[in-house]
Amino acid sequence: MNQIVSIGTSHHVAPIEFRERLAFSEEQLIESLQRLRESYQVQEAVILSTCNRVELYAVANSRRHAEAPAKMLVEFLSRYHRIGVEALKKWSYFHHDLETIRHLFRVTASLDSMIVGEPQILGQVKAAYDISRSAGGAGTILNRLFAKAFSVGKRIRSETTIATGAVSISYAAVELAKRIFNTLEEKTVAIIGAGEMSELTAKHLVANGVSKVIVANRTYERAVKIAQKFKGIPFAYEDDLGFLVDADIVISSTDAPYYLIKRKPLADIMKKRKHRYMFLIDIAVPRDIEPDVGKIDHAFLYNIDDLEAVVAANLKDRQQEATRAEHIVSEEAKRFHAQLQILEVSPTIKALHQQFQQVAETELQACLGKTELSNKQEAAVASMTQAIVKKLLHHPVKNLRQAVNDGDADHGQYVHALQEMFALEANEDEASGV
Amino acid sequence: MINFLFLLTLLIYLSASIFQTLSLAIGNRTETPLLRPTIEHIAFWGTTIGFALLTLFIALWWLQQGHFPMTHWTDSTAFFAWAITLIYLIIVRLTHLRTLGSFVMPVAFIAILISYSFATDTAALPESLQNYWLIAHTTLIFLAYAAFIAAFGFGLMYLMAERRIREKTHTLLQNLLPSLGTSDELGYRCTILGVILLTMGVIVGSLWTQYIQDVPWKWLDAKVISTLMTWFIYVAQIGIRQFWGWHGRRAAYSAIIGFVAVLCTYVGVDLFLDSMHTYR
Repeated sequence: MNQIVSIGTSHHVAPIEFRERLAFSEEQLIESLQRLRESYQVQEAVILSTCNRVELYAVANSRRHAEAPAKMLVEFLSRYHRIGVEALKKWSYFHHDLETIRHLFRVTASLDSMIVGEPQILGQVKAAYDISRSAGGAGTILNRLFAKAFSVGKRIRSETTIATGAVSISYAAVELAKRIFNTLEEKTVAIIGAGEMSELTAKHLVANGVSKVIVANRTYERAVKIAQKFKGIPFAYEDDLGFLVDADIVISSTDAPYYLIKRKPLADIMKKRKHRYMFLIDIAVPRDIEPDVGKIDHAFLYNIDDLEAVVAANLKDRQQEATRAEHIVSEEAKRFHAQLQILEVSPTIKALHQQFQQVAETELQACLGKTELSNKQEAAVASMTQAIVKKLLHHPVKNLRQAVNDGDADHGQYVHALQEMFALEANEDEASGV
Repeated sequence: MINFLFLLTLLIYLSASIFQTLSLAIGNRTETPLLRPTIEHIAFWGTTIGFALLTLFIALWWLQQGHFPMTHWTDSTAFFAWAITLIYLIIVRLTHLRTLGSFVMPVAFIAILISYSFATDTAALPESLQNYWLIAHTTLIFLAYAAFIAAFGFGLMYLMAERRIREKTHTLLQNLLPSLGTSDELGYRCTILGVILLTMGVIVGSLWTQYIQDVPWKWLDAKVISTLMTWFIYVAQIGIRQFWGWHGRRAAYSAIIGFVAVLCTYVGVDLFLDSMHTYR
């Protein structure tokens, strides 16, 4: 019987020191896929290698031992990366059949990601699959499995909201800006002070259409240095905040121990800019912007806590949605597993039918040659033999299908027994075919 | 038959209003991600079907009366609802912002409800008033009203969205309201459209007076004065925005004031003052 197996490690179970030793480069991937097929009797394989996880999906024949494919994969990884078998067993997980299917569906749907719902993983799985397919790694079973995984991922994205809502401070700021301005095009962002967070936020804003970046700093040299990253306009400010007249979005993160932007001066600035909306983001601690600024008409002030609350609400929402997504994954995995097994037993059933039919046909012809019956009688005898064949096969076939549907692990033995006892030659390749 | 059609229209408008409001209310929640699109669909298609039925009703009513039905409250409010829905559907077609329906559809429903409650058969109109002037004049005025009601809807959406942003509602990113800038801009455009239509309607109306002989006409008619005041409120709004940059919250409030003025002109004058425009 063919088994779908997987071995892998991820940020959930292993530290970076282990994951990096197990990682595959693209050339290594192609080489490994070949080696797996040539030296390890693996029929199909896909290797997924990202910074958070390394996973190997394979289809192998487990007629002799159910455990055999697992051992084989451990052996391969251990030799390829020169890692002890013990370490591999400690830091990785092993799945087979239904569990493998479920795991891949979870990974592709971004349920196993560090940030649930993050969109990159789908692309990473697709890339891994494409490499494997062009290197001849993925065959009929894995083709079906990965196609299904992508469609389940898509279903989860459309039926749940695990992938919506900003889950980082910088994205939350961008999303909020979109709730204020009808478009971010032609808008100006001003960054006051320096800091990774403010630069990241500005970068996202630019990616979303903001066209002008003003970089203000106490010292002109620093302003120039930061401005280079955004093709921004450097600006050295003293106490005059006049440059804010042009700013639609203000990100402040200085280490000033006092309020840099106060209500009264900003109200004047708002008047000068004809009360066009201003979105102020204060990510400095201690704060740079007087809280009362948020009371000015058309000025909207969010500090670091406000943004974090938005992120927390979104994360909580994603968690809730993840539970629903898990149900979808389980349901789809079960359905896919059953389909796969039906496909595995169907050649045997077909062969059995053929054999019985053949015997019946041969015997019928022999019998008809010896007797002289009218056309009507011949037809009656022929349909009787058909009925006998059907009835004889009814229970074995029904029970075999039942065993598959019940998820009975013994159905492999049934198939094996049938093949041996009736000397059937069910084509294994056909078994995995569509 | 025609009464049944009207009742059916009324019920469809009621359900469309309910579903429109419902879709706005549950917009924040995500436990039911499949429910919301369904409700939105029902709301929108209810609106579309309701509009088709209302159009059919007005057409049949017109045929039955033998002249453009604009004599009784029944005629007027049904036509008012028709204009509101038409403007709403045009806006949806242009902007894909269905949320506006949560604000304007209840107004349309109430108009039809009034129309239905006052339904009567007797509606005579002086021969001299039965002409294309009447159709042009009333259509323009009602479309102007409908545009002002859309502006009012955008004003309300603006104020709701602004409150959420200011109060830092945690789930504010999940609601269906458009951005402040969008509501503000679209509300302004509706106001301009309304002013253009109203101006045209008033001009047509005043030209029409030249041709009416057998109905006494006085310029100091309550409806005329009230309409001119409403017109002035909206023109002032546009002017202040152009010259002093008033927009956003103030514009939203003035859209609401304008809406009240429209209601006073449309309903108030008839109820409390004497006018030759009065519906019977």
